[in-house]
Amino acid sequence: MAHPPPSFELAEAATDDRPGPVPTRRPGARRTLAIGLRHLILVLLALLTLFPVLLVVSTAFKTPEDVRLNPFGLFSSFSWANLVDAWTVGRFSDYLVNSILLSVPSTVLVVAVSTMAGYAFARLPFPGRTFAFYTVVLGLLVPFFTYMIPLYFQLRSMGLLDTLLGANLVLAATGISFGTFFMRAFFTDLPSELEHAARVDGCSEGQIFLRVMLPLVSSGMGALAVFTFLGNWNNFLIPLLYLPSGDYRPLTTGLYMFTGGRSIDIGPLAAGTLITIVPVIALFVLLQRQVTEGFISGAVKG
Amino acid sequence: MTRRAQARLGILLTIPVLALVVVFFVFPMISALYFSVVDFDGIDPSPEFVGLANFIEMFTDPETWHALSNNVIWIIVGTAAPMIIGLLISVLIWTTRRGAGIYRLAFFLPFVLPGVAIGIVWTWIYDPVSGWLNRALEAVGLDGLVRGWLGDPDLALYAVLATAIWAYSGFVIIIFLSALRNVDVELVDASRIDGANALQRLWFILLPQIMPVFLMVLTLTLVGGFSVFDIIFIMTGGGPADATNVLGTYSYTQAFQLSRIGYGTTLALLITVLSIPFAVAINRLQRRLALQDTGA
Repeated sequence: MAHPPPSFELAEAATDDRPGPVPTRRPGARRTLAIGLRHLILVLLALLTLFPVLLVVSTAFKTPEDVRLNPFGLFSSFSWANLVDAWTVGRFSDYLVNSILLSVPSTVLVVAVSTMAGYAFARLPFPGRTFAFYTVVLGLLVPFFTYMIPLYFQLRSMGLLDTLLGANLVLAATGISFGTFFMRAFFTDLPSELEHAARVDGCSEGQIFLRVMLPLVSSGMGALAVFTFLGNWNNFLIPLLYLPSGDYRPLTTGLYMFTGGRSIDIGPLAAGTLITIVPVIALFVLLQRQVTEGFISGAVKG
Repeated sequence: MTRRAQARLGILLTIPVLALVVVFFVFPMISALYFSVVDFDGIDPSPEFVGLANFIEMFTDPETWHALSNNVIWIIVGTAAPMIIGLLISVLIWTTRRGAGIYRLAFFLPFVLPGVAIGIVWTWIYDPVSGWLNRALEAVGLDGLVRGWLGDPDLALYAVLATAIWAYSGFVIIIFLSALRNVDVELVDASRIDGANALQRLWFILLPQIMPVFLMVLTLTLVGGFSVFDIIFIMTGGGPADATNVLGTYSYTQAFQLSRIGYGTTLALLITVLSIPFAVAINRLQRRLALQDTGA
């Protein structure tokens, strides 16, 4: 179970446009037509898939009057009014800052803690290792629902309810089971000759970890970081439950409260939605390989 | 000497993960068991012990069974549809020479978007008056189908499900596409020459070759079905009139809106008990996958 899944290197292979099984044996008009038809179907389906996103972009940039009078017009006018409204009146500037304050520290914590533990579980025998590992992996089997209610009261008595620290710790705690499991697989795969050679050269155990092994799993750490960051950025339930006052409301719960707070004003709402999804889309497009890799190996690893 | 040093570093490196897991997972898990046998309102510091009363109430509460049946519908439709859509679209992408990267990007995008944004956009699309869905239906002459999608108790669950399927299918496509890279292309070509039609090639040649990954995605999707929450909570809040309640939203409502902490926790435990067998099955599958990977 501690293997990088078979599809792992495939994920990378999949980023080049290697052709599928289309044989060149039957060239000619019929073949071209069949391929053209497939592209047509795929383009239509892709447009259908992306339509809700286009709707958000279009509505966010329309003038408020245009949104009201011509709700079905796509890209029929241009104005920053909705975005300015959401950013200032809708407090989305605060929500954006809070989202960063909730996602970045928790992601750093998950990657650091998981990498350390993954190394220990993969390569360092110590008493109680198996028991400790199963305790950590148990977190993969149990849904967050099971303990989310008691956790609320626990945070309250610890004084961590409604604090950035508390929410960050909970976000990190929900990610480290997977993270440890994920990083352990990377360390397990490294050849033990490296470790032996370093030891012969007089490296201490700490130096072997930090100087020899750690640089070799940086791609795994990167994939885990992107994957965890997206999950934490998109998380809705944890800020909803554990940041109840609204002082540290991130984009997700901010957007949700925005729909309930006033009569549905589609223009600023679309703008708020756009502010919420733009960072995610940017990250996804820029780091496409890490994101898909993270999700593919995440799926196959559990 | 080396062993001692290794053990020392091993313990040192696992302290943070264990501290976080014990404080924010193991401890609240134990509290969950305690909460399920008391009648806790969130304020009373020494709540009354009620034994199995919460469990008895849960099994005799018609809303539990209703919510559970919605979970079952969610699991069946919400698993079958993305699997079929994912398989068809991934094979379609796989068989076209160009543009695979772009298609992957387009189809996968919804999966990385936050659930809140997805729920909000689809709520406008379903809006009875200013929604695009009714507008599109009118445009193609299907005026008879125009309705308030999320306001209709018979349809609301399926309307939310359709949104979830939209958001999730891209994930299945990506996983299947990566598995299809492993497929023996010569076998596919040979079967084509032998006269197998597209459906036969899919069923007899492609599917068996990606079966381990297929089963993995299947189980993964099944587990998710029990703990569905965000999208239903955002789009309908479990309504109209509890029509879209699932165990997750019912548990949340009981605990945080009605302050019935004990009962809400008991409902959450039911989710756990139901989803763990699937999670264990995933683990088994992973082991099998790992074995195949090593050439066994």
